[in-house]
Amino acid sequence: MKRFLETGNFAITEGAILAGCRFFCGYPITPATELAEAMSKRLPQEGGVYLQAEDECAAMHLCIGASLGGMKSMTATSGPGFILYADPYGWALGCEMPLVVVNSGRVGPVSGITGAPGQGEFYLTRYPTQGGNFECITLAPNSAQEAMAMVVEAFYLSERFRMPITVLVDQLITDGFEDITVPESEEEMRQMGFKTWPRAFCAGPDFYPFTDDLDIPPVQMGSGAGGMCSDWTPTVEGYDIEEVDAHHKHAYRLIYKVRNHRDMFNHLYEKKFMDDDPELVVVSYGTPSRVVNTAVDQARARGLKVGALRLINLWPFPDEHFARKAKYLAVELNWDGQLVREVQRAATKDAEVHFLGSCGDLPTIPDLLENFEKLLKNQPLTRKGWELEAW
Amino acid sequence: MKDRLEIVASGFGGQGVVRLGQVLGEAAVKEGLRVTMLKSHGTEMRGGYVRSQVVLSPKTIDSPMCENPDFFVALSSAAYNRFKDTVPQEGLILFDPAFVEEIDAKLPCAQRELPAKQLALDNFGRVIFSNSIALGAMARLLEGQLKKEGILESLLEIIPKFHQENRDAFEIGYNYMN
Amino acid sequence: MQYSSSALIQKYLRSRKIPSTACSGCGLGINHKVVVQAVDELGLGPADIIWGTSIGCAGRQTFGTWQGDGFAGTHGRVYAIARGLRIALPPEKKIICTVGDGDAFGIGLLHLIHCARSNVDMTIIVNDNLGYQSTGGQFGFTTPQGVKTDSSPYGMFEHNLMSEGMDVMHILKGAGATFLARHVAMDGPRAVESVKKAILNRGFSLVHMPYPCPTNFASRELGSRNQVNIYRWIKQRAKPLGQEDANTVWATGVWYDATDSRPEFSEHIWASVGKIRRTGAL
Repeated sequence: MKRFLETGNFAITEGAILAGCRFFCGYPITPATELAEAMSKRLPQEGGVYLQAEDECAAMHLCIGASLGGMKSMTATSGPGFILYADPYGWALGCEMPLVVVNSGRVGPVSGITGAPGQGEFYLTRYPTQGGNFECITLAPNSAQEAMAMVVEAFYLSERFRMPITVLVDQLITDGFEDITVPESEEEMRQMGFKTWPRAFCAGPDFYPFTDDLDIPPVQMGSGAGGMCSDWTPTVEGYDIEEVDAHHKHAYRLIYKVRNHRDMFNHLYEKKFMDDDPELVVVSYGTPSRVVNTAVDQARARGLKVGALRLINLWPFPDEHFARKAKYLAVELNWDGQLVREVQRAATKDAEVHFLGSCGDLPTIPDLLENFEKLLKNQPLTRKGWELEAW
Repeated sequence: MKDRLEIVASGFGGQGVVRLGQVLGEAAVKEGLRVTMLKSHGTEMRGGYVRSQVVLSPKTIDSPMCENPDFFVALSSAAYNRFKDTVPQEGLILFDPAFVEEIDAKLPCAQRELPAKQLALDNFGRVIFSNSIALGAMARLLEGQLKKEGILESLLEIIPKFHQENRDAFEIGYNYMN
Repeated sequence: MQYSSSALIQKYLRSRKIPSTACSGCGLGINHKVVVQAVDELGLGPADIIWGTSIGCAGRQTFGTWQGDGFAGTHGRVYAIARGLRIALPPEKKIICTVGDGDAFGIGLLHLIHCARSNVDMTIIVNDNLGYQSTGGQFGFTTPQGVKTDSSPYGMFEHNLMSEGMDVMHILKGAGATFLARHVAMDGPRAVESVKKAILNRGFSLVHMPYPCPTNFASRELGSRNQVNIYRWIKQRAKPLGQEDANTVWATGVWYDATDSRPEFSEHIWASVGKIRRTGAL
């Protein structure tokens, strides 16, 4: 293994290459540009192809094309580009094409602030396209090292579920430096828990079987199997059809191949001080969770019964973590409250759910501690003149 | 080594603020420490300040934010004024008087002057070596936490040109802190 | 050029999709036949070609007809998918896309231009029914001036890609396409010859093929669904290149042939990647 002081962009690039990614297509956008740059340097060295597309919509379609031809592919962007993925994301979901999408969140809406972290795409990663009738898988690491691991994991899951997987990070992860350990052999990859899955192709004749089974390889153009895939509702063979019954079967597969295999990713969370029934559970994902962890350490040192729950797998949402009656506080990098809504939905009816938002900057430890104390004393959260409970 | 050591460097773009953090971080990696370094960028680049926030620890680092820096290297007045109040009593501000004209005497922390720009001009006739002077000074201040040789080695790796001058500059900064 | 029950269907197409669900009298089948005939005359088999399709009448009616592998893109995106696919496909495999005018020259024009720019080895057959017919009949970017459609009830009066001396072919040529031709559906063997050249070009080829829509287009503009009228209407407006007259909308024939004059996209990319991998530089 080799250690580097490097950025999250480097970690993600190396993770993708370790996972077998040999095609990247993107479009320059802060703060994902350096990831594209790193790919442009590294992929040719590994015999892979880097392409720059005419826009993000094309970028993801080119990745689809390469994946359709049997290459493991990845694209990366930030919010304003992720929204242009709506079209190809839907195609990849419907046609069940493995693909990895990295979204480095910044402050929105629209272009917002380029060089600051935000978490405005929580729900967008659940519904990255129109139409519904599908489940999504989204992984949200909170460090560069974990971003490498989750990109490897995303490639693995994308092959087994044959679907696009989003890795949601932010500017602090992609641009921030960290000591990063990179495995140098398959044995070292195994030691680090990195799993890979080879690309295969579906030999047909059932290219879109009515089943929730994993490990059905994707359709591959050029395989000679007579595979078909389209943006239409498919028959089992891949023909386009306008029948509700066929649609129902297809929707069943897109939804339940994920819902019925939660065991594939329901280990992706981190709990801190959660064994002694804490009165207050702080829920977060991504970089805010790092400050939350430090704050919870300090809260415990002060004798406050606070625990931390960090989600790594955001979708499908891990409802099982919210069965206990407690006060939940969602800490997020947005002012409107997104994660908190899902916590409210998942939590037991008599749980109390609160929201603490900030955007562009991580929350500070004194701020977090003050709010933990307020909640434990049943006082309302107010800050910066906003009624923060009004989410 | 402390459980958590925070170093902030901040100034204008082009002063090597990010590089300074990178050299210290790289030296820490060589010693097997965990490291995080955030760099501010984007809109902050123009007119405002550039900042690198380095955290070193023998253990996993949770928050990468330097909320109470042990060391703050101030390379502009704007940066000084913006972050001086975050430095706790036991912390230290290292400032270059060529850029930070006015000092807040009421701060609880120690403040030490390092005329890196002037030293660079006097010894080499070029400002670019002030960064290595600052790193030499930091090497002295970090004694007992990070090895001097490791910092110098990382400096020479990250700045591939003018090795002799950078070595000399590093020593000048190191000795200035005596 | 009889379309039904020919040996071509058995050899290349899927019985489940032929005959298609196209409207009675639709000219798309003639275009489709021209392309399959060209494939046959080149001695290619179902496994040699990956067939892409677009949205709209042209895409929907040709999707899933090819016995080999086939894919459909959403509105305007099939070109971008095909460009990525080209990287992954062995060079001997051909990509043919049967698409519509709205898809290619409207929503997909940006992607199309970038395929031409990078000279991707693919053959795009733009089956032009002069507007958006599958959505009921609205004007498109090649609809002749003055034509009445559901969205141009006073006659189409916008500047478009085929008005006032403009021709979409100029854009594609300027963008770097290496083979361009235009034929109307009734051009028969002349069209087949052009499509063969298009397929043989190792680079970006496009054949623009206006065809009659007796349903939405003809009923609005000609007031009749009688296919004879719309076939005649199109034929009157098409003349071979060099023989154009005042009524000519579509000058037919090989519009531009720069076959093999530029390196092909995927060959160029892979050669460059190979060199970087071996030597660390270009």
